[in-house]
Amino acid sequence: MGPEILLTRAIFAAALVLLMCGAVAAWASNNAIRRLAGIALSMLGAILGLGALGAPNALLIAAACAVFVQLAIGAAVTVRLQEDYGAIEAPETDQADRQDDMPGRAP
Amino acid sequence: MTAALDLMRTHAALLPLIIAMVGAALAMLCPPRLSWGLATIAALLCAFVTADTTVRVLIAAAPLWSVAEGVPLLADGIGLFASPLMAAVAALALAASGAVLSDIERRTWPLAMALVLCQLFGWLGALAARDLAGVFVAIETAWLASVALLAFSDGRTALGGALRMLGAGGVGSALFLCGVGIFYRSVGTLELSAIATAHIESADAAALGAGLMLLGVALKAGVAPLHDWMGGAFTRPGGPAALVLGTVGVIGALAVIVRLAGYVATSPTIGEGVSIALAVLGGASVVIGSVQAVGAHNLTRLAAYAGAAQAGGILLCVALGSPAGFAAALVQLTALAAAALALFGGAAAGGVQSLEHLDGLGRRAPLAGAAIMSGAISLMGAPLTLGFLGRWRLVEAGVGAGWWWAAGAVIFASLAGVFYGGRLIERLYFRRAGDLFHGPNDAWRWALAPMLAASIVAIAFGVSPALLLTAADSAGALMLGGLP
Repeated sequence: MGPEILLTRAIFAAALVLLMCGAVAAWASNNAIRRLAGIALSMLGAILGLGALGAPNALLIAAACAVFVQLAIGAAVTVRLQEDYGAIEAPETDQADRQDDMPGRAP
Repeated sequence: MTAALDLMRTHAALLPLIIAMVGAALAMLCPPRLSWGLATIAALLCAFVTADTTVRVLIAAAPLWSVAEGVPLLADGIGLFASPLMAAVAALALAASGAVLSDIERRTWPLAMALVLCQLFGWLGALAARDLAGVFVAIETAWLASVALLAFSDGRTALGGALRMLGAGGVGSALFLCGVGIFYRSVGTLELSAIATAHIESADAAALGAGLMLLGVALKAGVAPLHDWMGGAFTRPGGPAALVLGTVGVIGALAVIVRLAGYVATSPTIGEGVSIALAVLGGASVVIGSVQAVGAHNLTRLAAYAGAAQAGGILLCVALGSPAGFAAALVQLTALAAAALALFGGAAAGGVQSLEHLDGLGRRAPLAGAAIMSGAISLMGAPLTLGFLGRWRLVEAGVGAGWWWAAGAVIFASLAGVFYGGRLIERLYFRRAGDLFHGPNDAWRWALAPMLAASIVAIAFGVSPALLLTAADSAGALMLGGLP
């Protein structure tokens, strides 16, 4: 096994680790910022993996654009969460929603 | 007129995409109510253009045309069948959203309409893209437009749901990209049409890549158990976002899964591995979705979970990898689209959130009640409905391939459907109205009528399904290289 193949496999393994760590944070985190960081990390891992596997440049550029838009929308949603609820933690916003839903309270 | 029609047919693959994109741009620039009208007309035009091609190729057996050189699009059986379905669903959802637009700030209406057309553009693009890079870009366009629509349009309660959607979608995108990379390394091409004949270096790696790609899209289609984001996304009863996401978003993602599977599950080298993965995911989705729908207390969530169970049935059909399996998947997709239009439209018309709001709705809002009832009986798989037809085709295709357990999954889904569907019908017609009417009361409520009426008619299509079955059989045969 040549050093080039070894390096490719090492980069791909690192990419998979990044992807998995990011996926866990993006899926399960209660904090909006951590969720966004998870998305960025998992997409970074995916792009790194694509690069290691020799994918065409067009796909890498498309993936980078997709991350940018995801983070832009995520940042906008996070700012609105902070403005509307004064919090970016899911349990706190869910609690506020439950209070809104109580009879006699305006939604 | 004939010359215009010929020109339209020459560019039939590209035209719906241009109409959706230009329509979105114009909708952004128009005054609020005009943007709604313009977006609805654009979606109707897309439906007309795609339906014309579908009827010519799949029903009248005209030869499949080739896309103009330099345009990275590819016409195939599943894309031809699913595109008019998508466009029609989007047109009906857009028309119906006119009744519930007052739920959101008036200044954001043009943006909401543009985002719905961006979703349509994305899903139509993914159904026509020539290579996997194009499929990825198109799916991302549609998905991110869905997230933005939810975040913008349903008040602060939807923000958490939008963030959950974004997180789940980000994971789905990463898995899809990772799958594309592995697949490209093994197969050496991203072109969909070249997969069947490509020299595959490592069948296991290619199957893993294909499985990851399908998993990434399944996550966005709300296939159980990957549908965690749905609970947050469907919090409001009938806002425009829930209406569009529950119909256009879910049907679009499922149609793309069927199309991708049409290329990878039928490959002689990797088909078996992909089929096993799809069958496992499909079986799990049928069971989990059905159980969650039985326990749901919110109509839109019930519809979403029942949709996950139906999506499982579609994956089981696709896993068969045969023309009969793909035809069954397309019939089930049509049945799911009709049921989703009925349930989400009914929820919007009646302002139904919790199931208690359904009590006596059949008498207070007869059309909405009839739509919800027809959606419920279709989800049960009652005879003479489109839902029954879809399940019957799955049983036929499954038993033909020796997959007896697939018939068991269908029976389980139908039994669960009797529980949750029966509960809806009992509340609609056999309970006294115990609460005030929550639905829209102004003249714009009639904008929901076409969606509700179309869903009832579509479900009743099960009585005389010859045309639908011909189109589905032709699409399945065309996908696998046979003659339509």
